Amino acid sequence: MADVAVEQHGVAAAYEPSLFGTYSKKIGMWLFLLSDSLTFGALLYAYSYGRISTPNWPTPFHSESIRNATLMTAFLLTSSLTMVLAVRASVFGKGKAVRGWLLATMACGTAFVILHGHEWSNLIAEGLTLPVFPAVPGHEASKEFANVSRTVPQFPATFFGLTGMHMLHVTLGVIYLGIVALRKKFIPILLGLWLVAWLATPSYSPFHYGAHVLLLAAIAASVIVFLKPKVYDSSDVEVAGLYWHFVDLVWMFIFPLVYLMSTRIL
Amino acid sequence: MASTDLVHAHAAPQGFIRKYIFSLDHKVIGLQYYFLALIAVFTGMFLSLLMRIHLIWPTAQLPLVGEIKPETYLGLLTMHGTIMVFFVLTTAPQSGFGNYFLPIQIGAPDMAFPVLNMLSFWTTFVAFVVLISAFFVGGGAPLHGWTGYAPLSALPNAGPGQQLGADLWITSIAIFCVASLMGALNFITTTLDLRAKGMTLMRMPLTVWAWFITAILGLLAFGVLLSAGILLLLDRNLGTSFYVPLVVVNGQVMGHRGGSPLLWQHLFWFFGHPEVYIAILPGMGVASQLISTFSRKPIFGYRAMVYALMAIGFMGFMVWGHHMFMSGMSPYSAFAFSLMTMAIGVPSAIKTFNWLGTIWGGKVRLYSPMLFAIGFVSLFVSGGLSGPFLAQPVLDIPLHDTYFVVGHFHLIMGVAAIFGIFAATYYWFPKMFGRKMNETLAKVHFFVTLLGTYAIFMPMHYLGMAGQTRRYSQFTEVAYQTKLIPLQTFMTYAAFVTIAVQLVFLFNLFWSMKKGEKASDNPWEATTLEWTTATPPPHDNFGGRTPVVNHGPYEYSVPGAARDYTMQTDPATAPVD
Amino acid sequence: MDAVQVAIAEQVAEQHRHHGKAQFFWVWGALLAITGIEVFLGYQNMEPVRMLTILMGLSLIKAGLIIGYFMHLKFEVSRMKWLTMCSLVFCLAMMCIFFPDAFRILHLGVK
Ligand code: HEM
Ligand SMILES: [Cu+2]
Repeated sequence: MADVAVEQHGVAAAYEPSLFGTYSKKIGMWLFLLSDSLTFGALLYAYSYGRISTPNWPTPFHSESIRNATLMTAFLLTSSLTMVLAVRASVFGKGKAVRGWLLATMACGTAFVILHGHEWSNLIAEGLTLPVFPAVPGHEASKEFANVSRTVPQFPATFFGLTGMHMLHVTLGVIYLGIVALRKKFIPILLGLWLVAWLATPSYSPFHYGAHVLLLAAIAASVIVFLKPKVYDSSDVEVAGLYWHFVDLVWMFIFPLVYLMSTRIL
Repeated sequence: MASTDLVHAHAAPQGFIRKYIFSLDHKVIGLQYYFLALIAVFTGMFLSLLMRIHLIWPTAQLPLVGEIKPETYLGLLTMHGTIMVFFVLTTAPQSGFGNYFLPIQIGAPDMAFPVLNMLSFWTTFVAFVVLISAFFVGGGAPLHGWTGYAPLSALPNAGPGQQLGADLWITSIAIFCVASLMGALNFITTTLDLRAKGMTLMRMPLTVWAWFITAILGLLAFGVLLSAGILLLLDRNLGTSFYVPLVVVNGQVMGHRGGSPLLWQHLFWFFGHPEVYIAILPGMGVASQLISTFSRKPIFGYRAMVYALMAIGFMGFMVWGHHMFMSGMSPYSAFAFSLMTMAIGVPSAIKTFNWLGTIWGGKVRLYSPMLFAIGFVSLFVSGGLSGPFLAQPVLDIPLHDTYFVVGHFHLIMGVAAIFGIFAATYYWFPKMFGRKMNETLAKVHFFVTLLGTYAIFMPMHYLGMAGQTRRYSQFTEVAYQTKLIPLQTFMTYAAFVTIAVQLVFLFNLFWSMKKGEKASDNPWEATTLEWTTATPPPHDNFGGRTPVVNHGPYEYSVPGAARDYTMQTDPATAPVD
Repeated sequence: MDAVQVAIAEQVAEQHRHHGKAQFFWVWGALLAITGIEVFLGYQNMEPVRMLTILMGLSLIKAGLIIGYFMHLKFEVSRMKWLTMCSLVFCLAMMCIFFPDAFRILHLGVK
């Protein structure tokens, strides 16, 4: 259907119509997402494999964690809504509205990351931890979580591995949207965020070092915006949206598998 | 889509750096990939030479390297395998020739995403540098082979090379995955979107089909290897235990527990089996193309060839477990994998018979590209025949991890794919550099290489059946194995000769660039689009126009036609398909 | 090449303009509602496999909604829908072959 309409523009005559009936960038993003779903798929399979092969898988998540994760889910779902509204505004050429909705999406995404980071820190302090994470000074770990980490190391390993990969994707997604929304102007903001994330976290926190991802992203982003300066149009917004929704979608599997299936039933 | 993109479509870039280093032109990038693979293949070959020498003279003092210790042998083996599989067999036929010729053969001015294309080359380059650096760090290169089996690969204290060297190895593989993903999605999008008017799917040359399907395999397989690698890095550096159960190393209990080495094998081979097809499919495409062109006959069963490619791609994802029959995998899965593996022989056989059917009764022109294409078929058959043996768990149990497997995959994947690369080089050299390669040297190269290959790898089947194990650095200490040393010696001498003759190829390549006989725009009288354009092709491939395609790719010796070949762009005559 | 891309992008944008806003809010509401049900189920004392089946079923519905509406796949040409989704589902389904081995580990008593 799209093919026919393109022909009418008269410019496509030199080529066969696209097999997927849409522009290349979008196809490229879809293909990337296919492969990224397999990356995440493999991680989720590794998690399930570990879980099946481990007798007495613990179910330590208290209602505090579940409440927090539900809130995070709500933020992510809402960010998807604001994202489609951004795409919608962009096809009507409303530049201001696009920027507004993109910023709203980024805000929801950032809220997700902050809530998640907060939860990680709590869990680590409580004793759900990996061998390399330094002990949190001045905090007594709870027996229960410390016990889980010792007897079922698969539990913290899969938890931090899966959610960490996802958190990385959300963070990169926020940066991607930031570039689309604000272009060059986003770089100083990003550098500011990096400094805050780096300096405001104590040195025993994994985020103290993790924050440098923002610095690396800022460097990569500057290379892109300075070497290839352009005004992002509705197709760019749509493609960025695809990535964002995908990150949301992955969480729809991580949330029930990692959290809900490990709920401490009262 | 903004105006900046248009710049590339029109003006050729100026200045050395934009033109040859950070070029966006798919032809330059293709050559960059090709020369990277060339460096890689000679590096890998040098390593194999050292291994062959060590197998025969375990205590020899070699110039430069000194005496090769057992762990050095394993390091050489790992690096040889990794370099060859990733940086030669995946890089040259797909990323090298695919980049250069896929856009031209479908009539496009460039790839769909030129910047991404450049990035994927430079990412591959970084991956190569990271891999090679493993040689120079403390402890040296990793010992775990190209398959990186856990727990060996997951425990830094499992051996000298397992420290930083193994981390570099995994990092290199992860970077390579990202590069391949970028390349794959570029290839797929280009094929979907940029075919010139009239280039319908069923008029695409089989090379294009092969690159296209290979790209799909790469897209779906490399993502899985990436997460396998990430988890391995976590195991090594964050102390997780995805792949490591409770183990004791040198009498010391490791801190890991609860993981499963089988998980690594599953994830690795889920990628690994598609990967072997990633290596061979482009070669199949090249063989189809060349055999039709040099037999002056349409390819026998074009559609069957396309469907066989698709079937191989599809079934390639269902057979990975045949590498794991001896791993303690569930016997029910083993049964299913065995059946599927036998079934995948069918499309492979279809392709083979179609190649033979194409040659049958043709006016065969035995130029060097054709010789290498025939050599490809020969090696593919010889190596393929041992596949169905290995595919049966009962037979695989004694054969697994012996030289039999080494013989199988070197014939079918290693050297067959290399023959595909040679065939493509001799065939497209005139288009890439405007000159022909020297035919006499090429023929010498062909015959010595073919015979040498068989002399090296055929005896491996006997060695394997006699129980000679793979990945042993020395056979002198084991009584029953010492009896086989004469055969190993023979293979080493054969390797000397075969490796030496590759220098002839190298000489021919560079000499012909400068001094070779000047070639016309269509020296082989072939039909596909690359032969309709200037030599070497201009920056946008067709000098500002877009070709219009009226014919299928293999219209040779059409009855009633003036010439014995009809170019794809020739005007449509009465009834074309 | 670029003119073609611009033309197709304009065409795609035109398609987007025909979708009402309301649909997105409905989908969003449905996703939140399903999440609510999932959390509720998480607290039910249920046999794990049964719970897993229900949760995954619900998550698949959520995934379908996100892919179909938010990612717009429902409105793409059918070739794109089928090829992308079938290859993805096929590969993911194949990975289920890992599981018999995970179960065997329990019986083999490996630590
Ligand atoms: C008729 C088709 C084929 C069958 C039935 C087949 C079967 C097998 C089996 C069962 C093994 C495992 C042996 C073992 O480790 O004990 C194996 C190994 C291998 N095959 Fe094939 N194969 C076929 C075609 C191919 C092709 C086309 C390639 C590559 C282009 C290939 C490359 C390899 C490689 C690289 C290995 C060894 C990997 C390693 O352990 O390092 N095979 N093959
Ligand atoms: Cu295989």
